[in-house]
Amino acid sequence: MSVPGWVLRTSFFTSASVAAPWLAAVVVIGYRRQARVVGCIAALLSAIASTVLVWKAPAGESLYETLMLLFSCLTFGAIVLLPRRDSEVGTIGGILVLLGSTLLAYSTGNLLVLLVAWILSIVPFLWAGWLRSRKWRPMVGLLSSSLAIALAIGFMVARTGVSSISHLKGQSPGGVVAFALLIVAAIFRKGIIPAQAWVADAAESGPLVPTALLLNGHFGALLVVKLIVPLFPETDHLFPVLSYLAIATAVFVALRALAENSPRRLLAFLALSQSACILSGLESRTAEGITGALVHWVVVTVSTVGLFGILRLLEVRFGENLSASKHLGLAEHAPRLAVSFAILGLALVGLPGTLGFCSQDLLIHGTLTTHPLTGLLLPIATAMNAVSFFRLFSRLFLGKRRTGFTIMADALPRERWILAGIVLFLVLGGLFPNATVIEHSSEVDVVDEAIRPSTTLTGPRATRTTIRPCNPRTLNLSTTSIPAPEVEHAE
Amino acid sequence: MNAFQDILILVVVAPGLIFAVFALLWLLGWTPSEHFLSGITGLTFSACTAGVAALVWKITSASNITVTFGSWFAVGSYHFPLVLMVDRLSVPFLALAAVLSGLIGQFSATYLHRESGFLRFFLLLHLFAFGSLLAFAAGSFDLLAAGWEIVGITSVLLIGFFQQRRPPVENGLYVFGIYRACDIGLLVGIFAMHHWAGTASFVGGFPTLTGARAVIVCLLLLLAASGKAAQVPFSGWLPRAMEGPTPSSAIFYGAISIHAGAYLLLRAQPLLAQSVLASALVILIGATTAIHGTIVGRASSDAKTSLAYATLTQVGIVFIEIGLGWRWLAVAHILGNATVRTMQYLRAPSMLHDYHQMHSAVGGELSATGKQIEEMLPARVQLWLYRWALDRGHLDTILERWVIAPLLQISAYLSRQDCTRTPSPTTIRPGRAVQVFASGPAQRSN
Repeated sequence: MSVPGWVLRTSFFTSASVAAPWLAAVVVIGYRRQARVVGCIAALLSAIASTVLVWKAPAGESLYETLMLLFSCLTFGAIVLLPRRDSEVGTIGGILVLLGSTLLAYSTGNLLVLLVAWILSIVPFLWAGWLRSRKWRPMVGLLSSSLAIALAIGFMVARTGVSSISHLKGQSPGGVVAFALLIVAAIFRKGIIPAQAWVADAAESGPLVPTALLLNGHFGALLVVKLIVPLFPETDHLFPVLSYLAIATAVFVALRALAENSPRRLLAFLALSQSACILSGLESRTAEGITGALVHWVVVTVSTVGLFGILRLLEVRFGENLSASKHLGLAEHAPRLAVSFAILGLALVGLPGTLGFCSQDLLIHGTLTTHPLTGLLLPIATAMNAVSFFRLFSRLFLGKRRTGFTIMADALPRERWILAGIVLFLVLGGLFPNATVIEHSSEVDVVDEAIRPSTTLTGPRATRTTIRPCNPRTLNLSTTSIPAPEVEHAE
Repeated sequence: MNAFQDILILVVVAPGLIFAVFALLWLLGWTPSEHFLSGITGLTFSACTAGVAALVWKITSASNITVTFGSWFAVGSYHFPLVLMVDRLSVPFLALAAVLSGLIGQFSATYLHRESGFLRFFLLLHLFAFGSLLAFAAGSFDLLAAGWEIVGITSVLLIGFFQQRRPPVENGLYVFGIYRACDIGLLVGIFAMHHWAGTASFVGGFPTLTGARAVIVCLLLLLAASGKAAQVPFSGWLPRAMEGPTPSSAIFYGAISIHAGAYLLLRAQPLLAQSVLASALVILIGATTAIHGTIVGRASSDAKTSLAYATLTQVGIVFIEIGLGWRWLAVAHILGNATVRTMQYLRAPSMLHDYHQMHSAVGGELSATGKQIEEMLPARVQLWLYRWALDRGHLDTILERWVIAPLLQISAYLSRQDCTRTPSPTTIRPGRAVQVFASGPAQRSN
């Protein structure tokens, strides 16, 4: 029996990965039972479809497919990790809508579809009343970003009459106005200064795990990679401004986190500060910086979802009034949650042996190469983040054991397996980074192709290396004018 | 790949593998017995010691042993070289790390018997051994930095070993902050080597850097080395680190970790020799630390802190030797100091018992050892010096008042601007700003 041709098409798997969570969301809302099971199955189907997409993607062009796979797997893990208290219809349904929208945004090559995905991704936060108290800043942040991208896309389509991203590549559709609106959208969505405040508010007042997924869709960075860089190559002299803003955000938020005592806000600051580094890496226009940014994207996404998930588990077990102002000694009650929290947090700030170390190393090299002075702020911000994280860890988990609990469960088996999987991914990724880094380094071409011909790699080897656009799997560097220098060694 | 290369790989990887396997199994729900764990530890470090002995034998009769795995990761023209190298400089440090880790493991099996953190201690000991062996066997500064960071994090986690008490936990955080701040020097220094020399590998020779570039790299490495070796002005963390269990204090602050900074400078010796300014600064920092250590140590009221300052004084002298270019004297000094201090640390918990035995043996108290040098100073100066030494040279106070408190105040100010309701962030009051971040001097205890 032969398989119908349409089943083997890429578009079928793309549609399946997007449609499965949306259909499941409808089922969950209508059926109102077994929400977690339905959610898990939908996320798993998306993950399977994304795996096929990665497998079918041409060499060096699997960036978005890889991100789809990552986000599907992460959503599956998040749904399994959700405490029973949160596993109700609204939360699972919202997560599934968010998953479908994010996958649609990653996979689409059309401006209007991207706009729809962008707006749909924030719908659960608008309708479900997720952002309870002090909600105006998240609302303003999310709505402003949506308005800005809607205006930008409307302007571009109205001016050119074309909505295909590939057709608009390098044409600066909409000119400076569209470019500025896209930058505004990225700034608001990513939480870049001066629009950074909504992220912590969202984490504090919203449901933790869905908010973590919303933040880790990294729509702001996606906008830079997918639209801003490819469509507006001649405005490359303005890109460093975005990088400076990103570095300023990383430092500002890291500084802000030093005296923060709310665990939710503190984690949001750490996630924001570390994810701001992604933009500066993308802008560095060095192979190291771009690859570092892409790998850091993965690290930040995986580790912050894990950290937010563990924090939620702690809140459910020990009450929602957790604070970093005093020692709570929870490691005595939940040692496995404590260890997982420590590993994920240290991976986020670049612990050797984890994938975070590789991404930080590449990011620092890339950013320092392009911006020697402002780039210095990146390791400083990371150091401050490390201190803030360790303070949060020690306040939550160390200190005198709390008494008065009757039931004090450590990680349950389903939580344990998911956390072990996340930890293993980060550790194995760090021990064997070539599998991850080289896979992503081929994607540098995608970003670099968009930047060419106005830019070449910068840095110590700037004059002798450029990235070839159509490059199978590994990143090939061609020697152009100046031969690579011999490395001299002293006695 | 010959047998000695295999041995080198096994020596470095074995403790890390043990850590990874036991940690993963524990995470999934299995806890090994004390007996099994200490047995495995003894076996691992015995094998490591035998392996290092073979390497020593090979090094004395032949050239360096190098194992090249290629790149840990490579992007464009940048690559992270994965090269292990054993030469005459690294082999004494490898031997020290392998032998002392095994010794500490055996000592701790009894010392920490039925302690609630027994498994945690042994896992961290294995991780530390892996980190230090990796740092000492690294063939490039990139790999050295990876081992360096692992040593740092295990050090911090062991300072907070007695996690039910507040001071160890807070002091662990303080040490972590100092480490991370100083490690910026190492990271940026390595970047500068890649940027200017195209490599940070020292297999086959040191990357060529001259003039201002050499000075900048030296100063960056010196920052990292000073932080790790608790040199002035970062000495304040050392007495705080004594909060950890005695065996970990012995191996970290008596032997391996405290001398890692000196090892870094010894590795960078070819570069240091080109820069008079950097060499002078190394000598100055070493001399200041030695004087600081000896004075403050005299006012210390407990055994471990006194030992910490005695170690610090010697490490300061080692820095002077490195600055003067007396490389092999520095290595010999490190080996002697590390061995003696480890023994002294391990005997510290039994010190009163030892003294009691000695007094019983001689039939009374031991005779005085002679006049202290500070007694030659005028009484007013002695008093001032005593107060200065009691506050440990005001180093913590300066750091807290001029670095930590302003950072926290800025952070609290930003928090106030950020919040639209009652601010949740820390309130900073004059005089207790630092206690927000870590315990002040009054909370130190040993």
